[in-house]
Amino acid sequence: MTKNKLQRAVAIVLVAAALVLAVLGAVNLPKRTTQTGQEIIDALRIRTLLNATGDGVVESYVKIAQDEARAKAREDAKATGANVMATIRDYVAKAEEETRAKYASSQTDYDALDTTALKAAISTYAAQLADYQAVAQQAEQAYIDAHIAEAEAAAAAARQAKIDAGQEVGEEKPVTVDMSGFVATEEMKAAQLKADEGFAAVGEALCGIYPVLDAAAVNTLKGTITDVVYQRGDEFTVQYDRYMAAGSEKALENGTAAFLIRYADDLLYGALALLVAAATVLYYELLCKKLGIPRIIIGLFFILLCFMTLWFDLGLSTLLSNSLVRMGMNSIMVLAMVPGIQCGISLNLGLPIGLVAGLIGGLVTIQLGVPGWPGFLLAIVVGCVIAAVAGWLYAQLLNRLKGDEMSVTTYVGFSIVSLMCIAWLVLPFTSLKLRWPMGTGLRNTIGLDNTNFKHILDDFLAFKVGSFTVPTGLLLFMLLMCFLVWLFTRSKTGVAMSAVGNNPRFAEATGINVDKMRVIGTVLSTVLGAIGILVYSQSYGFMQLYTAPRQMGFIAASAILIGGASTSRCKISHVLIGTFLFQGVLTLGMPVANELVPGSTISETLRILISNGIILYALTKSGGEARA
Amino acid sequence: MRKFDWRTFLRNNAVTVMFVLLCAVCLLYSGQSASFVMYELFGRLSRNAFIVLALIIPIVAGMGINFAITIGAMAAQIAVLWVIEWGVSGLPGMALAALLTVPIAAFFGYLIGKLLNKMKGQEMIGGLILGYFANGLYQLLFLFIFGNLIPLKAPGLVIKGSTGVANTIDLSTERGFKYALDGLLQLPFVQAMYILFAVLAVVTVVLLLLKKMKPVKGAIYLIVMAACVGLVQIPAVADIFSMVKVPTVTFLVVGVLCLFNTALLRTRIGQQFRAVGQNRTVANASGINVDKVRVIAIMISTVLAGWGQLIFVQNMGSFQTYGAHEQVGLYAGAAILVGGASIRKATNGQALLGCVLFHLLFIVAPAAGKNLFGDAAIGEYFRVFISYGVIALALVMHAWSGVQKKKNAKEALTT
Repeated sequence: MTKNKLQRAVAIVLVAAALVLAVLGAVNLPKRTTQTGQEIIDALRIRTLLNATGDGVVESYVKIAQDEARAKAREDAKATGANVMATIRDYVAKAEEETRAKYASSQTDYDALDTTALKAAISTYAAQLADYQAVAQQAEQAYIDAHIAEAEAAAAAARQAKIDAGQEVGEEKPVTVDMSGFVATEEMKAAQLKADEGFAAVGEALCGIYPVLDAAAVNTLKGTITDVVYQRGDEFTVQYDRYMAAGSEKALENGTAAFLIRYADDLLYGALALLVAAATVLYYELLCKKLGIPRIIIGLFFILLCFMTLWFDLGLSTLLSNSLVRMGMNSIMVLAMVPGIQCGISLNLGLPIGLVAGLIGGLVTIQLGVPGWPGFLLAIVVGCVIAAVAGWLYAQLLNRLKGDEMSVTTYVGFSIVSLMCIAWLVLPFTSLKLRWPMGTGLRNTIGLDNTNFKHILDDFLAFKVGSFTVPTGLLLFMLLMCFLVWLFTRSKTGVAMSAVGNNPRFAEATGINVDKMRVIGTVLSTVLGAIGILVYSQSYGFMQLYTAPRQMGFIAASAILIGGASTSRCKISHVLIGTFLFQGVLTLGMPVANELVPGSTISETLRILISNGIILYALTKSGGEARA
Repeated sequence: MRKFDWRTFLRNNAVTVMFVLLCAVCLLYSGQSASFVMYELFGRLSRNAFIVLALIIPIVAGMGINFAITIGAMAAQIAVLWVIEWGVSGLPGMALAALLTVPIAAFFGYLIGKLLNKMKGQEMIGGLILGYFANGLYQLLFLFIFGNLIPLKAPGLVIKGSTGVANTIDLSTERGFKYALDGLLQLPFVQAMYILFAVLAVVTVVLLLLKKMKPVKGAIYLIVMAACVGLVQIPAVADIFSMVKVPTVTFLVVGVLCLFNTALLRTRIGQQFRAVGQNRTVANASGINVDKVRVIAIMISTVLAGWGQLIFVQNMGSFQTYGAHEQVGLYAGAAILVGGASIRKATNGQALLGCVLFHLLFIVAPAAGKNLFGDAAIGEYFRVFISYGVIALALVMHAWSGVQKKKNAKEALTT
């Protein structure tokens, strides 16, 4: 009972904290666009501007001091008869040093300055700059629209040329239009003129504040000033961060209020996160029972990553869209685990057999040059045929060693992959897209393009909602395959097969042909593996040969385990949930990890830990002794 | 005496025989000189034999091939890092590293043993995956903790501008202990052989005098030794070994480990290893704490593997911080299986023989691949395939014989 009370108390505290954060956030968020927000930005902007131009002012003082020193040096040298050049050099250097020391030490008291004129001038100038940028952006977009087709064609030609020349074709970069031919439009020029007028006004106001500045000095500062005042795509948070980074926080009368307004959205996210935490604490037992500890940990980790991407402003919707794509591209390989588990060979870590078959199918298609949908279907058919034969042989092996499948399948899979490494070197494919033009063997990664089946599922009926792209075809295909496998498990054979997986002795006693069921399951799993790698490749844009398929069996196995399967029981829902969680964590983990520890491979480490950790957990749960 | 049956012999030693043939073919087509192959072989043996011998005890204890020895290697690498950081070089450095490896590896071994106890019957796949998992933790440790949270001062351990410990750790600097063991006493092959045979001959004679050994057996030993000594007198034979410099102390350590393995299996705990390996239920019934015995077996194996990695590292003179341990389990496991061990039975002799054959293939395969198929990469891939294939084959044959036994037992019952 006390534990229950503690849970409740913690949950209440969390909810209370969440409410405080939510209220703070909700009150402060709208202030960004109101007068309060504008005042904060104005104050910060002026301070940043004065700071930035202050450096220019020092330069002006230095210049004046140097001129004076030079004149004085000439006189002194004349009087004493010393070397003129040397004296000048000494005097100038000394003057510069003194002046710099003087102005570096004496901080200008910004509050004492009269900035009303400057404020007005800057506001106008900012508006004019915004106008100009809007016009410019429109014009540039029009230019890009007009020339994009041309650029794409050029990029494709360059790619083809590379293939013909036998060079490695890297990951396809998004096509960019060469802007060197872009000429400012009349509208832009007009806006520019207006902005220049605005700048003149700002310059005048600045000169009013720093009498030492002259027009020439102001003009040299033009770039700095413009950058401070307005940059393309400016909004409250961006400007706030920029001015804060420039060290202008002293300009704010109430720093905390401004801080709250800046981070109002994060306060709201924080409130939501605390609510989730409260719910988890409150319903911990229920969740544990329903989901199991590993799924809770990974689920919470995923949610945490979601909040962290929001906190770091990394564009959650784009990342979620990416994780959806990665879920789709991996899902069929994960689905391949289902017949394996159900027919009693537990996790089919020999999946690389199927993957290799699928890769051969893809190679055949490219070799024959069959484009688009027919090509993709041909690849699937060829892959499935090879996978069926290989799977049947593999099943014969597995039927002879019941109860010890996992380690055998792993090493058989590894052996096949390394055997195929030799095969990739000697297989008689001739297309230059596949082979190295010099040297022997096929390429390590084979880039797919529009002439074969790149993104054929991803782009089918795909549509965008904001920055969230929905890969309709990929998802439809995934659901279709899941549905088919589900239908199969509901059929007479499927039911018999799961009976074999759950309890082989009982199944045998009821007259089910255990060996036959195991063969069916293994073949099905291998075939799904072949389809899976093709779906993966079309989405990834590359086919990876040689050692790449070695670890994929583990990745697929860990995904279904994360979804809630065990080594002897699984459902289709485990596939979908597991793949989404696993791929989601990986997709979101990468940018977040880069934000925390820049330039690190921590997300790869994360993958290793999650993927192998979950398999270990499943192994401890499979109870060892019972299977011996 | 039982009549020697060729067919049974072939069936029981299929892998070894196949490997001998394979090595012979590759040797023939590699076009490498015998003296070069011997030189390479002795180098590889000196640095790899120890770690292969570390696999024996878990096999005897019924846990199969301990693929988790990669974790022992990681423990050794942690020790090496700190010894270099403290700047203890030469033999003291090696000794300190060996000492430091013991608690680290024993602790890891304890954890591995605990985990493997939760997955009895699946130890090999469990150990393999545990090795992968530990590799993730190792990366965390070397990328984000050492060199960041715990600063390292020694030059070359951390490279400015990148996170974590450098990719390669070099032991050939004045801070390291390259050749600390190998360099102690390097003898030409013939001399080393004389010393070895002298010791063996004395031991044999003493045993004969004490009547602990059958006279026939002793005589055979002595004759074989004499024949070997005679053989190296032929210049052609002596030529083969002309390039070989034997790191005597290293081989001495390997020999001590062989004795240790043999001796340990004769003690009480050794008997318990065997009992648990044969049948856990029976062992449990006879009052043996099965779980504890298994943990001890893994702990010993992990510590030995750590020392084995130290020997490897001091011979190589540098190692890949993030990759040197990855293949340890695979190569050691494949080697011992090639020697004729199964996942239930292994001896020192099998381990050493396997080591010789496996590494012989490693030396000659790339060149043979180049000469036969015109591409060295084929040989490279072929030896990786062989490593995996041998393990797969051993597992299949083991599982198969298990199923066969069960079937035979069933048939015996029904008829």
